[in-house]
Amino acid sequence: MSYQEFFWVLFSKKLSNEATTSELKELENLIKDYPEWQYAIQNLEDLWKHQKAKDYGHEEDAYMLHIHRMKELGIPFGEMPDSVMPAKSKKRRILWYSAAVAAMLIAGFFLIGSFSAKNKKSQTPIAREVNEISTRPGSKSRVELPDGSIVWLNAGSKLTYNKDFGIDKREVTLVGEGFFDVTKNKEKPFIISTASINIKVLGTVFNVKAYSEDKQTETSLLHGSIEVTIKNRPSDKIILSPSEKLIVENRITSVEANGFKKNKEQIIRTTIPDINTLVSISKLNYSPADSSVAEAQWINNKLIFRDETFSDLATQMERWFNVSIEIKNEKVAQERLNGTLETETITQALDALQITTSFRYEKTGNKVIIQ
Amino acid sequence: MTENDEIKRLLSAIAFQNDQAAYKELFILLHNRLKQFGYAILKSNEEAEELVSDIFIKVWEKKEKLTTIESPLLYFYTTAKNLAFNRLQKQKRLQSLKPEEWLMQVNSIYLNPEELMMTAEMLNKIKRAVNDLPPRCKLIFKLVKEDGLKYREVAELLQLSVKTVEAQMAIALRRLGKCMHIELKTAAVRSLH
Repeated sequence: MSYQEFFWVLFSKKLSNEATTSELKELENLIKDYPEWQYAIQNLEDLWKHQKAKDYGHEEDAYMLHIHRMKELGIPFGEMPDSVMPAKSKKRRILWYSAAVAAMLIAGFFLIGSFSAKNKKSQTPIAREVNEISTRPGSKSRVELPDGSIVWLNAGSKLTYNKDFGIDKREVTLVGEGFFDVTKNKEKPFIISTASINIKVLGTVFNVKAYSEDKQTETSLLHGSIEVTIKNRPSDKIILSPSEKLIVENRITSVEANGFKKNKEQIIRTTIPDINTLVSISKLNYSPADSSVAEAQWINNKLIFRDETFSDLATQMERWFNVSIEIKNEKVAQERLNGTLETETITQALDALQITTSFRYEKTGNKVIIQ
Repeated sequence: MTENDEIKRLLSAIAFQNDQAAYKELFILLHNRLKQFGYAILKSNEEAEELVSDIFIKVWEKKEKLTTIESPLLYFYTTAKNLAFNRLQKQKRLQSLKPEEWLMQVNSIYLNPEELMMTAEMLNKIKRAVNDLPPRCKLIFKLVKEDGLKYREVAELLQLSVKTVEAQMAIALRRLGKCMHIELKTAAVRSLH
Protein backbone atom coordinates (compact mmCIF):
# COMPACT_ATOMS: atom_id res chain seq x y z
CA MET A 1 0.00 0.00 0.00
CA SER A 2 1.41 3.41 -0.87
CA TYR A 3 1.68 6.18 1.71
CA GLN A 4 -1.22 7.91 -0.01
CA GLU A 5 -3.59 4.98 0.11
CA PHE A 6 -2.61 4.37 3.71
CA PHE A 7 -3.30 8.01 4.56
CA TRP A 8 -6.78 7.95 3.03
CA VAL A 9 -7.72 4.68 4.74
CA LEU A 10 -6.68 6.08 8.13
CA PHE A 11 -8.23 9.49 7.53
CA SER A 12 -11.61 8.10 6.43
CA LYS A 13 -11.54 5.79 9.47
CA LYS A 14 -10.93 8.79 11.70
CA LEU A 15 -13.87 10.70 10.21
CA SER A 16 -16.16 7.68 10.54
CA ASN A 17 -15.11 7.11 14.17
CA GLU A 18 -13.68 3.75 13.19
CA ALA A 19 -10.02 4.39 13.94
CA THR A 20 -8.28 2.78 16.90
CA THR A 21 -6.02 4.82 19.17
CA SER A 22 -2.89 3.49 17.48
CA GLU A 23 -4.31 4.26 14.03
CA LEU A 24 -5.09 7.82 15.13
CA LYS A 25 -1.52 8.16 16.32
CA GLU A 26 -0.17 6.82 13.05
CA LEU A 27 -2.34 9.30 11.15
CA GLU A 28 -1.15 12.14 13.35
CA ASN A 29 2.46 11.27 12.58
CA LEU A 30 1.74 11.13 8.86
CA ILE A 31 0.11 14.57 9.01
CA LYS A 32 3.01 15.96 11.03
CA ASP A 33 5.41 14.89 8.27
CA TYR A 34 3.24 16.57 5.64
CA PRO A 35 1.84 19.85 7.04
CA GLU A 36 0.73 20.86 3.54
CA TRP A 37 -2.08 18.29 3.83
CA GLN A 38 -3.63 20.35 6.59
CA TYR A 39 -5.76 22.41 4.21
CA ALA A 40 -7.55 19.49 2.58
CA ILE A 41 -7.82 17.68 5.91
CA GLN A 42 -9.46 20.64 7.62
CA ASN A 43 -11.93 21.16 4.78
CA LEU A 44 -12.87 17.50 4.63
CA GLU A 45 -13.37 17.44 8.38
CA ASP A 46 -15.65 20.48 8.14
CA LEU A 47 -17.56 18.90 5.29
CA TRP A 48 -17.92 15.66 7.20
CA LYS A 49 -19.16 17.23 10.42
CA HIS A 50 -21.57 19.56 8.70
CA GLN A 51 -25.14 18.34 9.00
CA LYS A 52 -27.97 19.60 6.88
CA ALA A 53 -30.64 21.29 8.98
CA LYS A 54 -33.45 18.76 9.32
CA ASP A 55 -36.88 19.65 8.06
CA TYR A 56 -39.33 17.44 9.85
CA GLY A 57 -42.52 18.69 8.14
CA HIS A 58 -42.30 15.96 5.53
CA GLU A 59 -41.75 13.21 8.09
CA GLU A 60 -44.81 14.35 10.08
CA ASP A 61 -46.94 13.93 6.96
CA ALA A 62 -45.39 10.56 6.21
CA TYR A 63 -46.11 9.47 9.78
CA MET A 64 -49.81 10.43 9.54
CA LEU A 65 -50.05 8.51 6.26
CA HIS A 66 -48.42 5.52 7.88
CA ILE A 67 -50.86 5.55 10.83
CA HIS A 68 -53.74 5.89 8.38
CA ARG A 69 -52.43 2.94 6.36
CA MET A 70 -52.10 0.79 9.48
CA LYS A 71 -55.74 1.52 10.29
CA GLU A 72 -56.82 0.60 6.77
CA LEU A 73 -54.86 -2.65 6.98
CA GLY A 74 -56.68 -3.40 10.25
CA ILE A 75 -53.58 -3.36 12.44
CA PRO A 76 -54.51 -2.40 16.02
CA PHE A 77 -52.58 0.62 17.19
CA GLY A 78 -54.83 2.24 19.81
CA GLU A 79 -56.26 5.74 19.53
CA MET A 80 -55.00 8.06 16.87
CA PRO A 81 -53.00 10.73 18.64
CA ASP A 82 -54.66 14.16 18.63
CA SER A 83 -57.69 13.16 16.53
CA VAL A 84 -59.49 11.66 19.54
CA MET A 85 -58.90 13.23 22.89
CA PRO A 86 -59.69 10.92 25.79
CA ALA A 87 -60.02 12.40 29.26
CA LYS A 88 -56.66 11.01 30.35
CA SER A 89 -54.67 12.74 27.67
CA LYS A 90 -56.61 15.97 28.17
CA LYS A 91 -55.42 15.96 31.76
CA ARG A 92 -51.90 15.31 30.52
CA ARG A 93 -52.15 18.29 28.24
CA ILE A 94 -53.10 20.59 31.09
CA LEU A 95 -50.22 19.23 33.12
CA TRP A 96 -47.86 19.80 30.24
CA TYR A 97 -49.22 23.30 29.83
CA SER A 98 -48.66 24.27 33.45
CA ALA A 99 -45.18 22.80 33.29
CA ALA A 100 -44.45 24.98 30.28
CA VAL A 101 -45.73 28.08 32.09
CA ALA A 102 -43.55 27.24 35.09
CA ALA A 103 -40.55 26.76 32.81
CA MET A 104 -41.17 30.15 31.20
CA LEU A 105 -41.39 31.82 34.59
CA ILE A 106 -38.08 30.28 35.65
CA ALA A 107 -36.49 31.30 32.37
CA GLY A 108 -37.84 34.82 32.98
CA PHE A 109 -36.12 35.00 36.34
CA PHE A 110 -32.89 33.94 34.78
CA LEU A 111 -33.23 36.56 32.09
CA ILE A 112 -33.86 39.31 34.63
CA GLY A 113 -30.96 37.96 36.68
CA SER A 114 -28.53 38.00 33.79
CA PHE A 115 -29.67 41.47 32.72
CA SER A 116 -28.93 43.00 36.09
CA ALA A 117 -25.64 41.11 36.23
CA LYS A 118 -24.71 42.56 32.85
CA ASN A 119 -25.54 46.08 33.92
CA LYS A 120 -23.41 45.74 36.99
CA LYS A 121 -20.53 44.46 34.93
CA SER A 122 -20.48 47.37 32.54
CA GLN A 123 -20.32 49.74 35.49
CA THR A 124 -17.36 48.00 37.07
CA PRO A 125 -14.05 49.26 35.75
CA ILE A 126 -12.53 45.73 36.02
CA ALA A 127 -14.47 44.64 32.93
CA ARG A 128 -12.66 47.27 30.90
CA GLU A 129 -9.22 46.01 31.79
CA VAL A 130 -7.09 45.21 28.79
CA ASN A 131 -4.67 42.37 28.04
CA GLU A 132 -1.79 43.30 25.80
CA ILE A 133 0.70 41.00 24.13
CA SER A 134 3.51 42.48 22.09
CA THR A 135 6.61 41.20 20.33
CA ARG A 136 9.90 43.02 19.86
CA PRO A 137 11.52 43.29 16.44
CA GLY A 138 13.36 40.05 15.70
CA SER A 139 11.09 37.87 17.85
CA LYS A 140 7.78 36.02 17.47
CA SER A 141 5.20 34.76 19.89
CA ARG A 142 2.32 32.28 20.08
CA VAL A 143 -0.74 33.32 22.06
CA GLU A 144 -3.69 31.20 23.10
CA LEU A 145 -6.84 33.25 23.72
CA PRO A 146 -9.45 32.31 26.36
CA ASP A 147 -11.74 30.80 23.68
CA GLY A 148 -9.01 28.44 22.49
CA SER A 149 -8.16 30.46 19.38
CA ILE A 150 -4.46 30.61 18.57
CA VAL A 151 -2.62 33.69 17.34
CA TRP A 152 0.99 33.75 16.19
CA LEU A 153 2.39 37.26 16.46
CA ASN A 154 5.16 38.23 14.08
CA ALA A 155 8.03 40.54 15.02
CA GLY A 156 7.19 44.06 16.20
CA SER A 157 3.44 43.43 16.64
CA LYS A 158 0.84 44.05 19.32
CA LEU A 159 -2.41 42.23 20.11
CA THR A 160 -4.86 43.59 22.68
CA TYR A 161 -8.16 42.33 24.03
CA ASN A 162 -10.44 43.17 26.95
CA LYS A 163 -10.48 41.01 30.07
CA ASP A 164 -14.10 40.13 29.28
CA PHE A 165 -13.09 38.64 25.92
CA GLY A 166 -15.33 35.72 25.03
CA ILE A 167 -18.11 36.50 27.50
CA ASP A 168 -20.42 38.45 25.17
CA LYS A 169 -18.20 38.90 22.18
CA ARG A 170 -14.74 38.14 20.88
CA GLU A 171 -12.88 41.30 19.92
CA VAL A 172 -9.18 41.96 19.52
CA THR A 173 -7.11 44.77 18.04
CA LEU A 174 -3.97 44.15 16.04
CA VAL A 175 -1.04 46.30 15.09
CA GLY A 176 1.51 44.38 13.05
CA GLU A 177 1.19 40.84 11.72
CA GLY A 178 -0.76 37.94 13.17
CA PHE A 179 -1.63 34.46 11.95
CA PHE A 180 -5.04 33.50 13.36
CA ASP A 181 -6.52 30.07 13.90
CA VAL A 182 -9.93 30.98 15.26
CA THR A 183 -12.12 28.51 17.14
CA LYS A 184 -15.58 28.17 15.62
CA ASN A 185 -18.44 29.88 17.44
CA LYS A 186 -21.34 31.08 15.33
CA GLU A 187 -22.96 32.91 18.25
CA LYS A 188 -19.90 34.98 19.02
CA PRO A 189 -18.15 36.20 15.88
CA PHE A 190 -14.45 36.95 16.26
CA ILE A 191 -13.67 40.55 15.32
CA ILE A 192 -10.21 41.93 14.62
CA SER A 193 -9.73 45.69 14.36
CA THR A 194 -6.70 47.14 12.64
CA ALA A 195 -6.00 50.76 11.82
CA SER A 196 -7.65 50.53 8.41
CA ILE A 197 -9.94 47.49 8.41
CA ASN A 198 -12.21 45.34 10.58
CA ILE A 199 -12.35 41.59 10.02
CA LYS A 200 -15.27 39.47 11.16
CA VAL A 201 -14.94 35.69 11.27
CA LEU A 202 -16.85 32.76 12.69
CA GLY A 203 -13.96 30.33 12.78
CA THR A 204 -11.17 29.88 10.28
CA VAL A 205 -7.44 30.26 9.53
CA PHE A 206 -5.94 33.41 8.07
CA ASN A 207 -3.09 35.89 8.23
CA VAL A 208 -3.37 39.65 8.82
CA LYS A 209 -0.51 42.00 8.10
CA ALA A 210 -1.21 45.50 9.34
CA TYR A 211 2.05 47.22 10.24
CA SER A 212 1.63 50.94 10.61
CA GLU A 213 4.82 51.63 8.61
CA ASP A 214 3.72 49.46 5.65
CA LYS A 215 1.94 50.90 2.62
CA GLN A 216 -0.73 48.21 2.65
CA THR A 217 -2.82 46.07 4.97
CA GLU A 218 -2.99 42.49 3.76
CA THR A 219 -5.51 39.83 4.76
CA SER A 220 -4.77 36.32 3.49
CA LEU A 221 -7.38 33.61 3.90
CA LEU A 222 -6.19 30.01 4.01
CA HIS A 223 -9.53 28.38 4.52
CA GLY A 224 -13.02 29.27 5.69
CA SER A 225 -14.62 32.61 5.04
CA ILE A 226 -14.21 36.08 6.51
CA GLU A 227 -15.93 39.40 6.16
CA VAL A 228 -13.83 42.55 5.90
CA THR A 229 -15.03 46.12 6.32
CA ILE A 230 -12.80 49.04 5.52
CA LYS A 231 -12.98 51.55 8.33
CA ASN A 232 -13.92 54.61 6.33
CA ARG A 233 -16.26 52.74 4.00
CA PRO A 234 -18.37 50.88 6.58
CA SER A 235 -21.21 50.08 4.19
CA ASP A 236 -19.00 47.99 1.89
CA LYS A 237 -18.54 44.45 3.07
CA ILE A 238 -15.99 42.28 1.33
CA ILE A 239 -16.33 38.52 1.70
CA LEU A 240 -13.08 36.68 1.10
CA SER A 241 -12.98 33.13 -0.23
CA PRO A 242 -10.26 30.62 0.61
CA SER A 243 -6.89 31.23 -1.08
CA GLU A 244 -7.66 34.91 -1.59
CA LYS A 245 -5.74 37.91 -0.36
CA LEU A 246 -7.24 41.34 0.22
CA ILE A 247 -4.92 44.30 -0.04
CA VAL A 248 -5.98 47.71 1.25
CA GLU A 249 -3.76 50.71 0.61
CA ASN A 250 -3.03 52.28 3.98
CA ARG A 251 -1.85 55.58 2.54
CA ILE A 252 -5.05 56.29 0.63
CA THR A 253 -7.32 55.37 3.51
CA SER A 254 -5.46 57.70 5.82
CA VAL A 255 -5.67 60.51 3.28
CA GLU A 256 -9.41 59.91 3.10
CA ALA A 257 -9.70 59.77 6.84
CA ASN A 258 -8.01 63.14 7.08
CA GLY A 259 -10.05 64.63 4.29
CA PHE A 260 -13.28 63.37 5.76
CA LYS A 261 -13.50 66.09 8.36
CA LYS A 262 -12.65 68.85 5.90
CA ASN A 263 -14.92 68.17 2.99
CA LYS A 264 -17.43 65.37 2.88
CA GLU A 265 -18.40 65.90 -0.74
CA GLN A 266 -14.86 65.69 -1.96
CA ILE A 267 -14.40 62.30 -0.36
CA ILE A 268 -17.43 60.88 -2.07
CA ARG A 269 -16.00 62.04 -5.36
CA THR A 270 -12.56 60.66 -4.70
CA THR A 271 -13.44 57.32 -3.09
CA ILE A 272 -15.85 56.04 -5.72
CA PRO A 273 -13.54 56.14 -8.71
CA ASP A 274 -10.75 54.98 -6.44
CA ILE A 275 -12.37 51.71 -5.42
CA ASN A 276 -10.18 49.67 -7.73
CA THR A 277 -6.92 51.17 -6.62
CA LEU A 278 -7.86 51.27 -2.99
CA VAL A 279 -8.76 47.63 -2.58
CA SER A 280 -7.64 44.64 -4.54
CA ILE A 281 -8.16 40.91 -4.21
CA SER A 282 -5.56 38.49 -5.48
CA LYS A 283 -4.76 34.80 -5.15
CA LEU A 284 -2.44 33.56 -2.44
CA ASN A 285 1.08 32.55 -3.42
CA TYR A 286 1.11 28.78 -3.23
CA SER A 287 4.48 27.15 -3.50
CA PRO A 288 4.10 24.52 -6.24
CA ALA A 289 6.60 22.19 -4.55
CA ASP A 290 4.66 21.55 -1.36
CA SER A 291 1.42 23.60 -1.62
CA SER A 292 2.43 25.76 1.31
CA VAL A 293 1.25 29.36 1.38
CA ALA A 294 3.96 32.01 1.20
CA GLU A 295 1.89 34.49 3.22
CA ALA A 296 1.82 32.19 6.25
CA GLN A 297 5.36 30.82 6.14
CA TRP A 298 6.72 33.29 8.66
CA ILE A 299 5.29 31.13 11.42
CA ASN A 300 7.71 28.43 10.20
CA ASN A 301 10.58 30.92 10.42
CA LYS A 302 10.63 31.53 6.69
CA LEU A 303 10.57 35.01 5.23
CA ILE A 304 9.14 34.54 1.76
CA PHE A 305 8.88 37.36 -0.77
CA ARG A 306 7.20 37.21 -4.16
CA ASP A 307 7.65 40.03 -6.63
CA GLU A 308 8.29 42.60 -3.93
CA THR A 309 10.42 45.70 -4.22
CA PHE A 310 13.72 45.76 -2.36
CA SER A 311 12.46 48.67 -0.25
CA ASP A 312 9.35 46.72 0.85
CA LEU A 313 11.52 43.72 1.59
CA ALA A 314 13.93 45.93 3.56
CA THR A 315 11.06 47.04 5.83
CA GLN A 316 10.26 43.39 6.52
CA MET A 317 13.93 42.53 7.08
CA GLU A 318 14.20 45.37 9.58
CA ARG A 319 11.52 43.74 11.70
CA TRP A 320 12.73 40.22 11.05
CA PHE A 321 16.38 40.79 11.98
CA ASN A 322 15.87 43.80 14.27
CA VAL A 323 18.13 46.09 12.23
CA SER A 324 17.67 49.36 10.42
CA ILE A 325 18.21 49.39 6.67
CA GLU A 326 18.74 52.38 4.47
CA ILE A 327 18.75 52.05 0.67
CA LYS A 328 20.59 54.95 -0.86
CA ASN A 329 20.31 53.83 -4.50
CA GLU A 330 16.73 54.42 -5.83
CA LYS A 331 17.22 51.91 -8.68
CA VAL A 332 18.10 49.16 -6.20
CA ALA A 333 15.17 50.16 -3.96
CA GLN A 334 12.71 49.60 -6.84
CA GLU A 335 14.23 46.27 -7.91
CA ARG A 336 11.65 43.43 -7.73
CA LEU A 337 12.71 40.32 -5.85
CA ASN A 338 11.63 36.72 -5.28
CA GLY A 339 13.05 34.34 -2.70
CA THR A 340 13.00 32.70 0.72
CA LEU A 341 15.09 33.57 3.75
CA GLU A 342 15.23 30.93 6.42
CA THR A 343 16.73 31.48 9.90
CA GLU A 344 19.73 33.21 8.43
CA THR A 345 21.61 36.16 9.87
CA ILE A 346 21.21 39.55 8.25
CA THR A 347 24.68 39.21 6.70
CA GLN A 348 23.88 35.76 5.25
CA ALA A 349 20.57 37.11 3.93
CA LEU A 350 22.20 40.11 2.25
CA ASP A 351 24.94 37.88 0.76
CA ALA A 352 22.25 35.62 -0.68
CA LEU A 353 20.38 38.58 -2.16
CA GLN A 354 23.60 39.76 -3.82
CA ILE A 355 23.62 36.62 -5.98
CA THR A 356 20.60 37.79 -7.95
CA THR A 357 20.70 41.54 -7.42
CA SER A 358 23.72 43.75 -7.76
CA PHE A 359 24.24 46.08 -4.80
CA ARG A 360 26.82 46.83 -2.17
CA TYR A 361 26.20 47.02 1.53
CA GLU A 362 27.90 48.22 4.69
CA LYS A 363 26.93 46.98 8.13
CA THR A 364 27.86 48.83 11.29
CA GLY A 365 26.24 47.45 14.44
CA ASN A 366 22.51 47.27 13.81
CA LYS A 367 22.61 49.64 10.89
CA VAL A 368 22.82 48.54 7.23
CA ILE A 369 23.42 50.90 4.35
CA ILE A 370 22.73 49.62 0.83
CA GLN A 371 24.11 51.28 -2.27
CA MET B 1 -25.26 8.38 23.64
CA THR B 2 -24.84 6.79 20.22
CA GLU B 3 -27.70 6.62 17.77
CA ASN B 4 -27.99 2.87 18.32
CA ASP B 5 -28.44 3.53 22.06
CA GLU B 6 -31.09 6.13 21.29
CA ILE B 7 -32.95 3.67 19.05
CA LYS B 8 -32.69 0.99 21.74
CA ARG B 9 -34.22 3.38 24.28
CA LEU B 10 -37.13 4.14 21.94
CA LEU B 11 -37.66 0.46 21.14
CA SER B 12 -37.84 -0.35 24.88
CA ALA B 13 -40.37 2.43 25.46
CA ILE B 14 -42.47 1.06 22.60
CA ALA B 15 -42.24 -2.53 23.84
CA PHE B 16 -42.73 -2.01 27.57
CA GLN B 17 -45.04 1.01 27.68
CA ASN B 18 -46.82 0.83 24.32
CA ASP B 19 -45.43 4.36 24.01
CA GLN B 20 -46.91 5.94 20.87
CA ALA B 21 -44.81 9.08 21.23
CA ALA B 22 -41.63 6.98 21.17
CA TYR B 23 -42.95 5.13 18.14
CA LYS B 24 -43.54 8.41 16.34
CA GLU B 25 -40.10 9.69 17.37
CA LEU B 26 -38.45 6.58 15.97
CA PHE B 27 -40.41 6.88 12.73
CA ILE B 28 -39.35 10.48 12.31
CA LEU B 29 -35.74 9.67 13.17
CA LEU B 30 -35.40 6.95 10.54
CA HIS B 31 -38.00 7.71 7.87
CA ASN B 32 -35.86 9.69 5.43
CA ARG B 33 -32.80 7.45 5.38
CA LEU B 34 -34.82 4.27 5.10
CA LYS B 35 -36.90 5.76 2.30
CA GLN B 36 -33.74 6.81 0.45
CA PHE B 37 -32.27 3.35 0.91
CA GLY B 38 -35.52 1.77 -0.26
CA TYR B 39 -35.62 4.12 -3.25
CA ALA B 40 -32.06 3.13 -4.19
CA ILE B 41 -33.23 -0.48 -4.57
CA LEU B 42 -36.82 -0.03 -5.77
CA LYS B 43 -36.41 3.19 -7.79
CA SER B 44 -39.95 4.31 -7.01
CA ASN B 45 -40.98 6.93 -4.47
CA GLU B 46 -44.37 5.39 -3.68
CA GLU B 47 -42.89 1.95 -3.21
CA ALA B 48 -40.14 3.33 -0.99
CA GLU B 49 -42.73 5.14 1.15
CA GLU B 50 -44.73 1.92 1.48
CA LEU B 51 -41.57 0.05 2.34
CA VAL B 52 -40.89 2.34 5.31
CA SER B 53 -44.49 1.92 6.43
CA ASP B 54 -44.10 -1.87 6.18
CA ILE B 55 -40.95 -1.76 8.31
CA PHE B 56 -42.75 0.21 11.02
CA ILE B 57 -45.76 -2.10 10.93
CA LYS B 58 -43.30 -4.89 11.72
CA VAL B 59 -41.84 -2.78 14.54
CA TRP B 60 -45.28 -2.37 16.13
CA GLU B 61 -46.30 -5.99 15.68
CA LYS B 62 -43.02 -7.51 16.85
CA LYS B 63 -42.16 -4.85 19.41
CA GLU B 64 -41.57 -7.31 22.27
CA LYS B 65 -38.85 -9.07 20.29
CA LEU B 66 -36.98 -5.96 19.25
CA THR B 67 -35.64 -5.03 22.67
CA THR B 68 -32.80 -7.54 22.50
CA ILE B 69 -31.30 -6.47 19.18
CA GLU B 70 -27.61 -5.68 19.47
CA SER B 71 -27.39 -3.31 16.51
CA PRO B 72 -30.85 -1.86 15.79
CA LEU B 73 -29.72 0.42 12.95
CA LEU B 74 -28.41 -2.61 11.08
CA TYR B 75 -31.70 -4.39 11.86
CA PHE B 76 -33.68 -1.58 10.18
CA TYR B 77 -31.50 -1.57 7.06
CA THR B 78 -31.48 -5.37 6.79
CA THR B 79 -35.27 -5.41 7.14
CA ALA B 80 -35.51 -2.69 4.48
CA LYS B 81 -33.28 -4.70 2.16
CA ASN B 82 -35.19 -7.95 2.70
CA LEU B 83 -38.61 -6.36 2.25
CA ALA B 84 -37.41 -4.56 -0.88
CA PHE B 85 -36.00 -7.83 -2.25
CA ASN B 86 -39.39 -9.52 -1.64
CA ARG B 87 -41.01 -6.80 -3.70
CA LEU B 88 -38.48 -7.12 -6.51
CA GLN B 89 -38.90 -10.88 -6.63
CA LYS B 90 -42.68 -10.58 -6.81
CA GLN B 91 -42.27 -8.12 -9.68
CA LYS B 92 -39.58 -10.33 -11.31
CA ARG B 93 -37.13 -7.40 -11.34
CA LEU B 94 -34.20 -9.67 -10.51
CA GLN B 95 -31.57 -7.44 -12.11
CA SER B 96 -32.15 -4.84 -9.36
CA LEU B 97 -31.05 -7.26 -6.63
CA LYS B 98 -27.38 -6.45 -7.31
CA PRO B 99 -25.99 -3.59 -5.22
CA GLU B 100 -24.20 -2.25 -8.33
CA GLU B 101 -27.67 -1.46 -9.71
CA TRP B 102 -28.79 0.53 -6.70
CA LEU B 103 -29.13 4.29 -7.14
CA MET B 104 -28.05 5.95 -3.94
CA GLN B 105 -28.22 9.74 -3.69
CA VAL B 106 -25.89 11.57 -1.35
CA ASN B 107 -27.69 14.57 0.13
CA SER B 108 -25.55 16.07 2.83
CA ILE B 109 -23.01 17.50 0.39
CA TYR B 110 -25.55 19.93 -1.06
CA LEU B 111 -24.95 22.77 1.31
CA ASN B 112 -24.84 26.46 1.74
CA PRO B 113 -21.21 27.41 1.08
CA GLU B 114 -21.27 30.29 3.55
CA GLU B 115 -22.37 28.03 6.34
CA LEU B 116 -19.68 25.59 5.46
CA MET B 117 -17.06 28.28 4.85
CA MET B 118 -16.02 27.00 1.45
CA THR B 119 -16.31 28.56 -1.96
CA ALA B 120 -19.32 27.72 -4.13
CA GLU B 121 -16.90 26.59 -6.81
CA MET B 122 -15.27 24.12 -4.49
CA LEU B 123 -18.63 22.81 -3.30
CA ASN B 124 -19.76 22.29 -6.88
CA LYS B 125 -16.62 20.31 -7.58
CA ILE B 126 -17.24 18.20 -4.51
CA LYS B 127 -20.88 17.69 -5.48
CA ARG B 128 -19.82 16.47 -8.90
CA ALA B 129 -17.13 14.23 -7.44
CA VAL B 130 -19.69 12.60 -5.12
CA ASN B 131 -22.16 12.09 -7.97
CA ASP B 132 -19.46 10.53 -10.12
CA LEU B 133 -18.45 7.96 -7.51
CA PRO B 134 -18.96 4.37 -8.69
CA PRO B 135 -22.40 3.13 -7.48
CA ARG B 136 -21.14 0.73 -4.84
CA CYS B 137 -18.64 3.28 -3.50
CA LYS B 138 -21.34 5.96 -3.32
CA LEU B 139 -23.70 3.56 -1.54
CA ILE B 140 -21.08 2.76 1.10
CA PHE B 141 -20.14 6.43 1.52
CA LYS B 142 -23.77 7.44 2.04
CA LEU B 143 -24.45 4.64 4.52
CA VAL B 144 -21.43 5.59 6.61
CA LYS B 145 -21.48 9.38 6.35
CA GLU B 146 -25.18 10.21 6.25
CA ASP B 147 -26.92 7.21 7.72
CA GLY B 148 -24.47 6.60 10.56
CA LEU B 149 -23.75 2.90 9.98
CA LYS B 150 -20.50 1.44 11.25
CA TYR B 151 -18.08 -0.21 8.79
CA ARG B 152 -18.95 -3.68 10.07
CA GLU B 153 -22.68 -2.93 9.80
CA VAL B 154 -22.27 -1.87 6.17
CA ALA B 155 -20.14 -4.96 5.53
CA GLU B 156 -22.83 -7.21 6.98
CA LEU B 157 -25.67 -5.45 5.17
CA LEU B 158 -23.96 -5.63 1.77
CA GLN B 159 -22.22 -8.97 2.40
CA LEU B 160 -18.75 -7.52 1.94
CA SER B 161 -15.59 -7.72 4.02
CA VAL B 162 -14.79 -4.84 6.39
CA LYS B 163 -11.55 -4.37 4.41
CA THR B 164 -13.58 -3.68 1.27
CA VAL B 165 -15.67 -1.07 3.10
CA GLU B 166 -12.42 0.52 4.36
CA ALA B 167 -10.97 0.65 0.86
CA GLN B 168 -14.16 2.06 -0.68
CA MET B 169 -14.36 4.80 1.95
CA ALA B 170 -10.73 5.70 1.28
CA ILE B 171 -11.45 5.97 -2.46
CA ALA B 172 -14.45 8.24 -1.84
CA LEU B 173 -12.55 10.60 0.46
CA ARG B 174 -9.49 10.68 -1.75
CA ARG B 175 -11.67 11.85 -4.62
CA LEU B 176 -13.18 14.57 -2.44
CA GLY B 177 -9.69 15.56 -1.29
CA LYS B 178 -8.71 16.09 -4.91
CA CYS B 179 -11.37 18.81 -5.12
CA MET B 180 -9.52 20.74 -2.43
CA HIS B 181 -6.66 21.33 -4.91
CA ILE B 182 -4.40 19.11 -2.95
CA GLU B 183 -3.45 15.73 -4.20
CA LEU B 184 -0.85 14.36 -1.88
CA LYS B 185 1.92 14.50 -4.46
CA THR B 186 4.86 14.39 -2.12
CA ALA B 187 3.63 11.23 -0.51
CA ALA B 188 2.76 9.37 -3.68
CA VAL B 189 6.32 8.46 -4.55
CA ARG B 190 7.15 6.94 -1.20
CA SER B 191 5.87 3.53 -0.45
CA LEU B 192 5.14 1.99 2.85
CA HIS B 193 7.63 -0.49 4.19
